[in-house]
Amino acid sequence: MAAVAKMDGWTPTPAKVWHQQHPELGTEPIPIEPYISQQYFELERERVFRKTWLNVGRIEELPKPGSYLVKDLPICQTSILVVRGKDGKVRAFHNVCSHRSNKLAWNQQGNCQNFSCKFHGWTYNLEGQLTFVPDEENFFDLKKSKLGLTPVACDTWEGFIFVNLDSQPQETLQEYLGELGETLKGYPFAEYSVERYSWSTELHANWKLLKDAFQEAYHVAFLHKRSIPDSFTGKSNPFAHGLDYKLYRRHRQMSVWGNMEHKPTPVEGLAYRSGTLIIRNDFSADRLPPGVNPTKDQGWALDLNVIFPNFFVDISEGSYFTYNMWPLAVDRTLWEVHNYFPKAQSAGQRFSQEYSKVLFRDVIMEDSSTLEQTQKVLASGAKTHFVLQDQEVLIRHDQKVHEDYVGFYKGR
Amino acid sequence: MSQRQFPAPFVDLEPFAAWALATEGQRARKRRDSTMVEIQTFYDAILPRMDAILDHLNQLPLDNMPEESQRLLHLTLALAEVAPAVELFNQPLVTDGYDPERFIPQQGQ
Repeated sequence: MAAVAKMDGWTPTPAKVWHQQHPELGTEPIPIEPYISQQYFELERERVFRKTWLNVGRIEELPKPGSYLVKDLPICQTSILVVRGKDGKVRAFHNVCSHRSNKLAWNQQGNCQNFSCKFHGWTYNLEGQLTFVPDEENFFDLKKSKLGLTPVACDTWEGFIFVNLDSQPQETLQEYLGELGETLKGYPFAEYSVERYSWSTELHANWKLLKDAFQEAYHVAFLHKRSIPDSFTGKSNPFAHGLDYKLYRRHRQMSVWGNMEHKPTPVEGLAYRSGTLIIRNDFSADRLPPGVNPTKDQGWALDLNVIFPNFFVDISEGSYFTYNMWPLAVDRTLWEVHNYFPKAQSAGQRFSQEYSKVLFRDVIMEDSSTLEQTQKVLASGAKTHFVLQDQEVLIRHDQKVHEDYVGFYKGR
Repeated sequence: MSQRQFPAPFVDLEPFAAWALATEGQRARKRRDSTMVEIQTFYDAILPRMDAILDHLNQLPLDNMPEESQRLLHLTLALAEVAPAVELFNQPLVTDGYDPERFIPQQGQ
């Protein structure tokens, strides 16, 4: 853009420019029905969550052979067991015993030599093969070699573990992530994933309401006026306009502006002196890969990366955070939040990380309460559509991608 | 007289030893169970001491410091916990925020 950057680092973009770049999306209000319809929810279960690559963890959670994690996926009516084998390979299985379908591993994570079912003692090795059946001679034509755990497609990208419940996934994980996956390559995920702070909550809201709230910054000046009054907004950018928006086939990215004239509070200033914060007033992103901070703006805070269907990887310099939104019902969502940092080398860095994650947590507590208030009136019938502005283009794109999968409106 | 909780140079912070809690869950609970006067008193006492505290703690290995210094570190983390209450919300909890009891820190953090 030809415009000149202002004192606080903002280079204005013309109004409505992002929709002009994507005329195929239209500009009409978008329907609320997909957020409240039980029928739509059931289609999402079959056509989205059983067909796409889903992030279920990070590789640091499986440090050595025998390390495993269990991921219950109520939306897919199953539980997944992800385990590192003796050969070092990470595999995923339905966490279901071959005998009478008991859930095999009950811990959320652990390390073991084999998995033994609590119900009748059927035992599987780390590669999912059935190795022992008590009272085996009383079974009829039992072929242990054919009664291993049911495998699930599993692969990793930049240390993130994904599974795909489709018995024949139509694309590899790499193909599925496409250009966005390539763009983020080289971001120091491993270095930044040493300290992990996590929260989870069961929110009374449709899972897409959560997604929408975290793929626009229009709300920041209002909802977050107390918690982050001048970090992402400023005199010349009062409505937190984005530096850049990129729409991929099913994923998307927003590059978020940070106000270089942001005035830190006393404790924030202390934390800033001791380490890296998401919100600060010095953005020097030289060592990050080219696709991160794509406009190479000095006033850059972070990039939101929204990976379809339910995974956010939001990256800045020095830390990143992720969201996983797991639908439990049409109006309930399990929301998992992780905030990642490099290894804290000193008490000062530990303090800095604590301040950063506490502020981050308090900010998203403002989002969370709002989402439940929205949900309370969403099915009232008072409104049938959401009205979107240019800076909410990611929400519009998301609904289009959903419809491409779900086909709810096709032929209507 | 009870046993000293913090290293000798920080004896002035002894009245705030109850804030030296090991996990985020405990510190967040202490924040929401305290009055704004209690929070502000703690904040005002520790903030001017933070440079000295961090100078002391930064000389020690983070994963292996004496118990008294470890408690002092936890006290600084409590300052991080209450800072938004004092500096942003002017009340213990996030204004119009989500129920913190439902926003659960994982793995004892």
